[in-house]
Amino acid sequence: MASTVIGAGITIEGEVTSDEDVVVQGTLRGRLTAKDGVTVEAGGTVEADITSGPVAVAGSITGNISSTDRVDLQNGARVVGNVKATRITIADGAQFKGNVDMDV
Amino acid sequence: MASERTIIGQSTFVRGNVSGSGDLTIEGRVEGDVSATGEVVIEATGLVAANVSAARIVVRGAVKGDLVAEDSLAIAQGARVVGDLRAPRITIAQGGLVRGHVQTGAAGAARPRAASAGAASSRPRTQTNTMPATPTARANAQSVSIVNAPASVKETVRPARPNILAGSRPGPPPPVVPVLKKGTKAVQKKRHG
Repeated sequence: MASTVIGAGITIEGEVTSDEDVVVQGTLRGRLTAKDGVTVEAGGTVEADITSGPVAVAGSITGNISSTDRVDLQNGARVVGNVKATRITIADGAQFKGNVDMDV
Repeated sequence: MASERTIIGQSTFVRGNVSGSGDLTIEGRVEGDVSATGEVVIEATGLVAANVSAARIVVRGAVKGDLVAEDSLAIAQGARVVGDLRAPRITIAQGGLVRGHVQTGAAGAARPRAASAGAASSRPRTQTNTMPATPTARANAQSVSIVNAPASVKETVRPARPNILAGSRPGPPPPVVPVLKKGTKAVQKKRHG
């Protein structure tokens, strides 16, 4: 279970820093830094640069994603921005515009 | 969409505004204004440096900022609040620390600086200040016990017990005039004379 949840009706404008999982169902604008995983659920909107562990996206992200682990763009995801990760998957039905940088 | 509960976890730090509909649980740190249409619960581990406005507010942790509730406001045991409280119904449990102005009654009696009270600010400010803060209540953080005070305010402000205040007085204040060593006064006199 995730420890930090930004619920569907909630908007956070500013900086979120966390040592635990972050789930976004609502809206986040600013910056998101998490030591653990970040999940943007369907309906969730992130307009922020994300620095974190594994990222799973089913919602919308506008901003750069920098992950120490993997990034999964699931069906229905909409990502505009650059992605830097060790592994990345883009599912059928995911929209993505940006550069991919995989550490090799 | 059903309003999912928002949780700011224990090791999460938010700097910025948190607003929207639904309930909110704060176990971590928040710096910035918080407003929600539902219930805001600040848990014992929660640290909030912000003005909070919601329908219901429950404080078990620490808050530095004004609390404005449309419905009810509860300060639980062990909570620390520095800031003004305003709600139709206010509960301060024994062991809850409050330092600030406390006002029950309609949320329409908004102070100008609490602009987040939305529609309330459009109403003229009716002075329903049924609980004028006594000098002692303002002066120091003390243990106030108001259990389920209705809008017509039943106030039982108990003077702080001495053991609570004991920690805030660390001994006598330092002397205004520095202590001179023996003989120095005479030397000074000689010099000036």
